[in-house]
Amino acid sequence: MSMSADLPITLVEPVHLPAAPTGPVLRVEALRKSFGKRVVLQSVDWNVPAGRVIGLLGRNGAGKTTLLRCLLGLSPIDGGRVEVLGEPMTEPGGERMHRIGFVPQTFDLFPWMKVRAYLDFTAAFYTRWDHTLTARLLESWQLDPKQKIGQLSQGQRQKLAIVRAIAPQPDLLVLDEPVASLDPQARRAFMTELLSLMRQPGKTVIFSTHITADLERAGADIALLRDGRIQFMRPLAELRESFVRAVFSRPGGWPHTPEVAGLLKASASDTEMHMLLEDADLGALHTLASELGASLRIETPSLEDLFVELA
Amino acid sequence: MKAVWQLWLQLWKRMPVLVVLAILMWLGGLVIIAMNFREEERPVYLGAGLCAFASWFWHIGQGQVLRSLCRPESFLLPDFRRWLAWTAAIDVLQWVILPSLLAALFVPSHVCLIAAALLLVAALGLATGCGRRVGLLIWVVFIAAGWMPQVVAQVVEVALNSPWTAPLLVLAATLLLRVTLLPLLRIDDLEVEPSPLESTSLGRTNTTNIDGTPQPRGALGKRVAGLFDYFAQRAMELALQRYRRHPTAAQKLTLVRRLLLPHDNPQAIALRLLLVAGMVAIYFFAVMHRQHFNAAVVGAYAILLTMTRFPQLGRGMLRMRPNLADLYLTLAPDTRAQYQKVMVDALLILVPVSVLTALAYTLLGSVLAHAAEPGRMLLTAAIVATSASLVALAVHLIGPQGSFGRAAVNLVLTFGSMAVYWGGYWLIGAIGYAAGGMTLAVVTISFGGGVWYAAQREYQRRAPCFDAPLA
Repeated sequence: MSMSADLPITLVEPVHLPAAPTGPVLRVEALRKSFGKRVVLQSVDWNVPAGRVIGLLGRNGAGKTTLLRCLLGLSPIDGGRVEVLGEPMTEPGGERMHRIGFVPQTFDLFPWMKVRAYLDFTAAFYTRWDHTLTARLLESWQLDPKQKIGQLSQGQRQKLAIVRAIAPQPDLLVLDEPVASLDPQARRAFMTELLSLMRQPGKTVIFSTHITADLERAGADIALLRDGRIQFMRPLAELRESFVRAVFSRPGGWPHTPEVAGLLKASASDTEMHMLLEDADLGALHTLASELGASLRIETPSLEDLFVELA
Repeated sequence: MKAVWQLWLQLWKRMPVLVVLAILMWLGGLVIIAMNFREEERPVYLGAGLCAFASWFWHIGQGQVLRSLCRPESFLLPDFRRWLAWTAAIDVLQWVILPSLLAALFVPSHVCLIAAALLLVAALGLATGCGRRVGLLIWVVFIAAGWMPQVVAQVVEVALNSPWTAPLLVLAATLLLRVTLLPLLRIDDLEVEPSPLESTSLGRTNTTNIDGTPQPRGALGKRVAGLFDYFAQRAMELALQRYRRHPTAAQKLTLVRRLLLPHDNPQAIALRLLLVAGMVAIYFFAVMHRQHFNAAVVGAYAILLTMTRFPQLGRGMLRMRPNLADLYLTLAPDTRAQYQKVMVDALLILVPVSVLTALAYTLLGSVLAHAAEPGRMLLTAAIVATSASLVALAVHLIGPQGSFGRAAVNLVLTFGSMAVYWGGYWLIGAIGYAAGGMTLAVVTISFGGGVWYAAQREYQRRAPCFDAPLA
């Protein structure tokens, strides 16, 4: 006899981390956003302290792009409040824009401009534009300054968008799927630049991605967007410690799912039952295994596994 | 001020020919005003008029550049709006204040009027360039001047001496600028188009900005677009039902047409004709009162309107290429040529649609303009529209893919078919309906058919391309 059970996931209350000494870079309260009748963001509460790398995870269509655009004032919000760098963000403007960098998901701006002309155009607006860094990145990422943007491949455009976002030396860098179109070499180079940028004090990076390996490399805090809300935001190490996968094995199947504290999700096959647990009591799990006459294996799920289970 | 320089430079980079022409005209205007040794009023008005004309052209270009620059992401540039305002101030200095100050040396009494008029012209150009229909108001002046020149002269005379004229012109310019610039400086969520091959605009012209993003629509525009979408959805559902009942090749072709050209179903065509009829009626009502008005021009305009459909098709075919891979996989043709043939057959529907459209517009125009020989106009329009749409479709199937090449081809096609209309109209008048119509049909339709036949063969010979086009 076989049984497969998907238990409802216990929603984790949004975690409001204490503000860093310099104050939160981003403060979002009850943010709502709809497109027509389709509600994308229901009530987002999110505080991001300064000096952190935040990886925003969520399934396709979860609203990551919409959330990031709302944070920057690029998409009008229906309700709630967004504060960026200490000021309300109703729409982009003011001196703080010198301190914000943004890489959109798809870079399709100004296809008629040449790479050099585009960077010159953009640099003219910034007071802290790093021309040396620009030249270095153009060379190492093999971007031809004389080429038209419209003639660049999607990956090359992404590289250009990253150069354009990093060169002003922003305090807050927002990246929407920045590495989706990059080859592994460019992805690694980008992560190196990102980490070197992060080594400077007070810099904050928020980026959405599906490549969890990049988040692990960056040692990012993980924020999960689901059902139009930020479900949690935790440091990666804490996240790994919090969640375990318990695998019970015994012949004869599983007529019902036992009640366990911290159970998020359970699934069963002929011989095994997999449980994803949050803040699990390992002693209680071993007791349960004895009662069930099953052997128990405790695994630490990878970030990708967690994403698959929770998102 | 580097940002101002960069913003100002964009028009020079995008439209160098327009800029050079406008600057030459502007300089010419200034020279005419400045060289007014006899200190007469007439050269001053002539010079200011030349400056105004240059300003109109310049600001049409400036509007187009602004439209593509003012994307939501651009507002992340620090002080983007402030630097834009500085650029605008320099623009006003160049196009309004400088010519007005020069004119003030000779006609100080009318300097405010000249400045206000220059400001209004700049605002009208900007509105046109930004795709605001209110920019078309300038044509009211041209139509009025042609229709009732004496009345217009009297109005100008009164306006020149009225203290209210300048403030009213400034008020009009301010309102125009507000209507034009506010939507550009506001961040809105962008809408999406139903198909790159389609547009719901009345002339079937492009509704996207020069960077490819759709233009925002007004409330009425949204309702009309909603109606078009409803018809498209209904037509698609009907085609699907019919295909399920009778899965024939013909029904499959109809399905492909509904997918590629969602707004070329009977209801949508009827709605478009109705909407255009309303707009064109107003225009002809004004035009037909002009002196020396030749009603036959209606047919040429009808051909012009009909041909505006094809540039959209050319652009759309390129933009849609990556998405057509889905259609290719769904159709699962035995050979690539078979798929290309399906595309050709599906798009051929545009020929009868174009002929029908040209006939409907010509009929409407001939009734409104009380044309003396509506039959002659209709016969000519039908023949020319048939051949012209065949050639246009052929050219857009296998023609140039670069923007310059396509623009050149579109110009030749549009004005060429209008010229053929006039030639055909004359021919039918000269040798009669039967002989003239037959000759015209044999020459033009055989030409169009020949071009179409060769082009579709070439298209079927080519492998389908699903790569995204380069800009």
